[in-house]
Amino acid sequence: MTEPELHPYVEWIAREAQRPVITDSAARDRIMAAVRAEPAPRRLGIWSRVVRPRSFTLSPLAGTLVAAGLVGMGVFVGTRTNDRDGQSTVGQPPVAVAPRLPVSDTVVRFVYVAPQAGKVYLVGDFNGWDTNKTPLVRSSTDGVWTVTLPLTAGRHLYGFVVDGSWSTDPRAPLAPDDGFGHANSVKFVRRGTSL
Amino acid sequence: MTLALLRRGLRISLGVAGLLVASTLSAAAQDPDPLGKLEQNNRVTIELLLDSAKVAGLPSQPLLSKALEGIAKKAPGRNIVDAVRKTLGYLRTARTVLGTVDDQELVAAAAVIEAGAKPNHLEQFRPRKKGRTDIEAFIVWADFLQRGVPSEEASTAIARLWQDGADDETFRSLWSNVQADISQGLNPGTALQNRIREAPGRASPVTVKPPEGQQENQSSR
Repeated sequence: MTEPELHPYVEWIAREAQRPVITDSAARDRIMAAVRAEPAPRRLGIWSRVVRPRSFTLSPLAGTLVAAGLVGMGVFVGTRTNDRDGQSTVGQPPVAVAPRLPVSDTVVRFVYVAPQAGKVYLVGDFNGWDTNKTPLVRSSTDGVWTVTLPLTAGRHLYGFVVDGSWSTDPRAPLAPDDGFGHANSVKFVRRGTSL
Repeated sequence: MTLALLRRGLRISLGVAGLLVASTLSAAAQDPDPLGKLEQNNRVTIELLLDSAKVAGLPSQPLLSKALEGIAKKAPGRNIVDAVRKTLGYLRTARTVLGTVDDQELVAAAAVIEAGAKPNHLEQFRPRKKGRTDIEAFIVWADFLQRGVPSEEASTAIARLWQDGADDETFRSLWSNVQADISQGLNPGTALQNRIREAPGRASPVTVKPPEGQQENQSSR
């Protein structure tokens, strides 16, 4: 097999490519001097780094996670700054969805006498009617159960759960029939009083 | 080097985003749904009633409290809805009679109506005096009704004391004495009549005939 005849133009390119390059010995020095003469790149400040455009490459999974995080933040903030009607609650007193133990300087002592009882709980609107949240402590051997807790000023409905059975406070006025088969007691707490 | 920094920054951002998602989900899981134990239809009805109260400018907290009370007392869902609806009705009536008053006073007045007082009896409490609250009077009034004091007698006695300027201590003392007498077996109406004479101030004895068939030493309960 004979070598194919090359095009003259190709042969010229090959010759030029193979021709040894003869450089001026001072050229390297001139180039380096020119480089040194250039001003050093300025160090970027924090603001410049922040505002300088950048390109990111995200996988679909990473992008989904970032989006989910942003949505989660939005939901988190939104639920705490808007009520169920979409009204802003910023600057407004919080509307308790679940009644919580109020913070108050008014301390109230509840007493229930039940010598035979094993467990007594205080249950009312101030603890979200939680039947296990506010236990009374047997303070003596004569069956006196007590608990002291802070309450906001105002009218409070409550009852005692004595060994699983609802009971009213004999020392307090009765509230109207609750409609559920158990009466409640009422305590009116004045601001700053200690009962 | 820049690329490495960018990658590290991206990893941190993703980590923070993941933590935020996790914390949001965790917060949502820990935030107890107070009405979560109700059936969906009852729950929706109660939420509508809560919204109705808000729209009407009435406190919604008593309605929510009533629902929670029903749940705590293991009442059937329908009963809870009924109780919440009635509470809203009492609040509306109290607002109509008393006008714009403090939420606590409104709730106490609603309880009086709930206990059986006629709305027109509340009208005597409409004139307001600055710095004076009628909550204690309403509480005692509702208690008397709950204990079986006839509505007319209880209303007249409380209204007179109120108009005579009785303070909270007077109402509390009256309640304590009447309650003690009832516990001793006295007829509730008679117990009130007896004790109202002792009340300080210019309160006049209530002159209402005892209901027929009731003895003075007979407990109503």
